[in-house]
Amino acid sequence: MRVTEGMKYSQVLSNLANITSQHAKASQEAATGVRIGKPSDDPIAAAELARLSASSSQTKAHLSTINTVRGDAELTESTLDGAADIFTRLKEIALQASNGELSADDRKTMSVEVAGLKDSLLQLANARGTRGYLFSGSQVATAAFDPTGVFQGDDAAHVVQIGNSSPTAVSTSGAEAFVVAGGRNVFSDLQSLATALSANDLGAIRQSIDDVGASQTQLMNARARSGMVLSKLDASESVLSSLDTEQQKRAQIGAADPYESYTRVTSLAQSLERAISVSRQILELGGSNRF
Amino acid sequence: MGSLSQLLYTARDSLTAQSYGLSVTGQNITNVNTPGYVKRDPLLESHALGTSTTGTVTATGLRRATDIYIERRELTARGAAAATSEQDKQLASVEALFNDLGATGMGSALDGLFSSFSALAANPNDPTARQAVLGAAGALADRANAMAGSLADAKNELLQQAQETTAEINKRAQSVAQLNQRIVLAENQGEDAADLKDQRNNLLLGLSELVDIRAIPDDKGSIMVQAAGTTLVEGTEARAFSIDLHADGSLKLSSTSVGGSGTNNEVTQFLTGGKLAGIKEARDVDLFDVSSRFDKLVFDVANAVNAQHAAGYGQDGVTGRNLFDVGAIPTDAARNLRLSASVAGNTAAIAASGDLLTLPGGSDNAVALADIFNTPLSGGRTAAQSYGDIVGSIGSKKSALEQSVETQQAIKEQVQAMREAVSGVSLDEEMVALTRYQRAYQAAGRVLATVDELMQDLINRVGR
Repeated sequence: MRVTEGMKYSQVLSNLANITSQHAKASQEAATGVRIGKPSDDPIAAAELARLSASSSQTKAHLSTINTVRGDAELTESTLDGAADIFTRLKEIALQASNGELSADDRKTMSVEVAGLKDSLLQLANARGTRGYLFSGSQVATAAFDPTGVFQGDDAAHVVQIGNSSPTAVSTSGAEAFVVAGGRNVFSDLQSLATALSANDLGAIRQSIDDVGASQTQLMNARARSGMVLSKLDASESVLSSLDTEQQKRAQIGAADPYESYTRVTSLAQSLERAISVSRQILELGGSNRF
Repeated sequence: MGSLSQLLYTARDSLTAQSYGLSVTGQNITNVNTPGYVKRDPLLESHALGTSTTGTVTATGLRRATDIYIERRELTARGAAAATSEQDKQLASVEALFNDLGATGMGSALDGLFSSFSALAANPNDPTARQAVLGAAGALADRANAMAGSLADAKNELLQQAQETTAEINKRAQSVAQLNQRIVLAENQGEDAADLKDQRNNLLLGLSELVDIRAIPDDKGSIMVQAAGTTLVEGTEARAFSIDLHADGSLKLSSTSVGGSGTNNEVTQFLTGGKLAGIKEARDVDLFDVSSRFDKLVFDVANAVNAQHAAGYGQDGVTGRNLFDVGAIPTDAARNLRLSASVAGNTAAIAASGDLLTLPGGSDNAVALADIFNTPLSGGRTAAQSYGDIVGSIGSKKSALEQSVETQQAIKEQVQAMREAVSGVSLDEEMVALTRYQRAYQAAGRVLATVDELMQDLINRVGR
């Protein structure tokens, strides 16, 4: 084959261009630590990364939802705990008051304490979380109970998505905890005791012992349900956290292996040097002593 | 028998012929780096002087060292290489638009809208969460508009490029026709048309990068050029290509017949190579595919969100409001996507609650809105999956094109090397040729001196 000047030059040129572009790409990969900088670098991995980023942002959104609702769930649990404690005290008072040796004045004094406990209960029942009133159901902007203890909320649950399962209720129903939806209206039971005490009606007081006890059970059941909500949140959170870690690990398919890329840059740099020196020899060949 | 004076003429002819050889060699060396220059060989012939048995030499002309088959292959190879490299270049800008890895794509906007619905469910009565939904929906619309706008711009730009390329093709076709005329004229007058042929060859090489051509020489020195399956240049006549649009918006390439009789023949389907084919492929196949899939995705997402949003209630107790304005058909959905006027700037209009009675704390509709992003849309794929499919298909197309650019480039270089092997200038050869003609010239001079000496001797002796 005839070898002409044009062939020599274009051969040298295309060899150098080829190695230089490989070297540039490898250097960029080593310098940035990113193997897939654009979809064509690895189409399958790029599509996978696009989908992965969507599921990863869902995981993060669920985690952030859990964080948002956890505060209210914890507050609900401690509030119901406090309300149950009030009924423990009320039960004690009722038992004490049912003692026939007590005077009417003694019972009057007790009724004052019961009235105070009613205010505390009202405060607890109208507790506010980040979302609004905890026990008003969906009526978060309206106090759950008016000053006389009349329920103003509803029984609608607060549902959120905290995983890939169906939506989860993360609220504890105020209606079930405090009013007849749960079986007893706790404010009425408290009021009956107060009325019986101030009326010094021993029969009614003895009747109240059972009623107050039933209300206490109802509140403790509600507290248990709120505890279950919390443990559900915890369980979801731990699943989501490990999922998040796993997804972040999978997102590393777009990252370069530092040892591999460094080795490649070094070997390409050597190839480039060799190519330059060979090119110089080709171009110098005969150039000085031909004519 | 030849005489001494005949020998003088022989020596003179030899000097002329060798210096012609030297000048051709010089020309070759001079043009060693000239693109498209075809190496010349001087043609020397022995030549009898009258009826005598002694002969002399004459330079009968030049031979351009060409191989028509290799040249034809080069035209095809250059056309194919130019087409793929143009298509690859155009797809690179589309790829950059959909590069979520470089944070330019649509993925983060879709994720953002989902996250805002999810946060709204966590706290439906929170004005900040509602504002975040409006913000995320607006960002999604903006992103879709921007990407669709860039795709449309790219389409328009490619139309313009196709028109410019066509104009360039027409100009070059005219030049080829003119050169045909001059070459035929020169050869008729017995002149050397090698330079004109080099020029025409260069023009054809350039033309082959714009459109797929075939060059068919005739015996009069003229070349007929076929482009995109039709005759572009015939003898001294050049036809013209023109670009306009089909009803569906795709490019339409037509050729006008010679003499401008007004009949336009459509040749779009025969266009296979050169920059023009690359532009057409990038515009009417790649861009069309990407933008229609993107429009469909945006259309499906917007409609699914709208349907769910309209089913819920705003804080003001109003139901049936859409979150997005999107056209009735997928075409141009991404470009037309807007935040609906009934919700824009109105946080109370966001429908988090699925029931009038559960206002303002109901979150079921917000949960359902977020769930859209996990629900398969019309194609049986979720929004994120569909988007990933688009990104993946652009990526694999681009990476396949990069491969074929390399292959075509290698083929082109190989054919170019073949042409160089036939037509290129080798300085080694020229050096040898230079020495050969130099020595022959010196020897012819020596013959002249010898004849001169002999004649002088003769004159001196006879004249005494």
